[in-house]
Amino acid sequence: MAAPEVYSLAQGPITAHAFNQDRSQVAVSLNSKDVQIFSKAVNDWKATETLSEHDKLITSIDWAPNSNRIVTASQDRNAYVWSQISDSQTGRLEWKPTLVLLNINRAATFVRWSPFENKFAVASGARAIAICSFDEESNWWVSKLLKKPIRSTVLSIDWHPNNVLLAAGSADMKARVFSAYIKDVDKKPAPTFWGEKLPFGTVCGEFASSAGGWVHTVSFSPSGDVLAFAGHDSTISIVYSGSGPAVRTVRMSTLPLVTLVWASEDSIIAAGHDCQPYVFSGSEGGWKLIGSLDDTSAPKSALTPSRFSPGGPGRLNSAAFNTFKNADSRGISNAGAGGGSSQGESELFTVHQNTITSVRPYEGQSETTTKVSTTGVDGKLIIWNVGSVATLTAKLGSTHLR
Amino acid sequence: MSDVNFRKIDIDIYDEDVLVETELYDADPRDPAQVLNDTKQKATAVRSALSKGDTVGALTLVLEDPPYGPGVDEAKNLNLQTLVSILNSTKSAEVSSVLKSLSPDAQDTLMKYLYKGMAMPGWGDVSGSVLLGWHEKLTEIAGTGCIVRVMTDRRTV
Repeated sequence: MAAPEVYSLAQGPITAHAFNQDRSQVAVSLNSKDVQIFSKAVNDWKATETLSEHDKLITSIDWAPNSNRIVTASQDRNAYVWSQISDSQTGRLEWKPTLVLLNINRAATFVRWSPFENKFAVASGARAIAICSFDEESNWWVSKLLKKPIRSTVLSIDWHPNNVLLAAGSADMKARVFSAYIKDVDKKPAPTFWGEKLPFGTVCGEFASSAGGWVHTVSFSPSGDVLAFAGHDSTISIVYSGSGPAVRTVRMSTLPLVTLVWASEDSIIAAGHDCQPYVFSGSEGGWKLIGSLDDTSAPKSALTPSRFSPGGPGRLNSAAFNTFKNADSRGISNAGAGGGSSQGESELFTVHQNTITSVRPYEGQSETTTKVSTTGVDGKLIIWNVGSVATLTAKLGSTHLR
Repeated sequence: MSDVNFRKIDIDIYDEDVLVETELYDADPRDPAQVLNDTKQKATAVRSALSKGDTVGALTLVLEDPPYGPGVDEAKNLNLQTLVSILNSTKSAEVSSVLKSLSPDAQDTLMKYLYKGMAMPGWGDVSGSVLLGWHEKLTEIAGTGCIVRVMTDRRTV
C-alpha cells in the first residue's frame, strides 16, 4: 500500500476543504472568515487566491465539479455562491460572490451542492435546512426551509443521487431523510426505497443513534439505497431502506467519528477524534470495522521510538496519554524529562496529529473510490490510497481492533 | 452588577419551541411500579446466582433492562445496590475474564453504573477503590468508546 500524500497547509485548524473537478485546486477554510484557494505546485500547494466576503468563520465549503462554482456557509448566517467572472477591465478571471437569501437566524453549519448542481442545501443552527435554487427572474438564489421535525442544530447533510432526497444528521440525536423536491427545478423523481410520492418536506425516515450521541455525519451509499451515519456515541449505523428499514450498528472502542464517505457500495471510510481514517466493510447482513488506512505501529517522525507499546483500544496508549499518566502516577512532567525526546512524547502515531474534521472522495468513480482526502485540526491535507480492502484485512488482522 | 443571579433565570420558559428531555430518548415502556417490581425480582435472582458463584450470570441479569428515566429513583438505587454487591464480592483476579464474557451492551451499562457509583462516594457499600479497579479493567477491554457512550446516553441509570 502506497504511503499517503501529506501536505501541511496551515499551522492552525482546517475547518473544511473542497477540491475542484480536476483536483488542481483546493478551497479551504483555515478557521477564519476567508476562503483560501490553494493551487497544486510540483510537490506542494501554493496559496493563490483569497475569497473575502463573509463576516464570520466559514464552516463549510463545496465546489461544484461541472459548473465550477463554490458555495460557502458561515457563522454570519449567510451563504455565498462564488463564480469565476472575467473582470471587465483587466480581463482576468476573478471569483465573484452572489448572496443567497437563506432566512435563517443562526449560524449556517454545512453546505452541499446537489448532484445536478442546480440546488444546494445549507444546514443551520436554526433547526432548519435551507434548500436553495436559482431564481432566474430576480437573478439570485432563493431558499425554502425544511423545518419539521428537526429539534436542534443540523450538523451535516448529504444528497441522494436522484437530486431530490436529502439526508440530515442533527444534534437532536437523529438522522433523517427528507424530500427536497422543488417544483420548478426538479423533474418528478422515480420511486425509491425511501418513498414514492415525495412533495417538499416529506420525512422519509428518522433514525436515532443507538446510545444517544448527536449525529455528526450522514451519507448515502453510491446507489442511494443505503444510508450511513455516525454519532458522538462512538457508533456508526448503516440503514438499509429496502427491508423494513434495517439498521446495522457498529459500536467502536475508540473515540467518536465525525466524518465519513462511502468508498463503494460495501465499504465506508470514516474518521474523527481518533485522528486516523478507519475502513468499515459489510453488507445487509452486518458491518464491521476492518482496519485503518493509517499505519499506527510507529511514530511518524524519525525520532527515537517511544518506549510505549502501541495498541490497546482507543488512544489509551498514545504518547500524549502516557505523558499525563506519568505526570499523574510518578510525578514526572514532560518539560524536564528526557531532554530532546520531549517532542516525540507528545506525538501521536497517526499521520494526522489532531482530529480529522473532513473526509471527501478524491479519485475514482462514486462506486469505486480509489483515493480520499482528509483535513483536520492539525492543518494537514492528506490524500490516502483506499487500496483494496482485502490487503488491509490481512495486514491488520492481528491488531487491537475488535 | 446589581443582580448576579441572572444565570439562574430559566430562559427556556420564554422559548415556545424548547427542546425537552423526553424528546431526546424513548421512554421506558414499563410503568414505574412495574420497573421497581422487576428490579426487586432481579435482586433476588442475582443473590441466588451469586451463591452459586455465577458472577457473569449475575452481572448479565442486573445489567439487563436497567431502570432509566424519570420517576424510578427507588428502582435505580436498588439496582445500583445489587450491582455493587456483585462488584464487591468478585475477586480482582477474575474481573478481566468476567468482563470479557459480557455483551457489549452490558459493558456499556456497567460503565454507566461505575460512573454513577463514583459520583456517590460513601453511599451504601460503594467503595471507590473497587469501582476504580473495575473501571480500569473495563476500559482496557471496551475502550474509550464505552466511556464516550456513558457521556452521550441520556438514558441515565
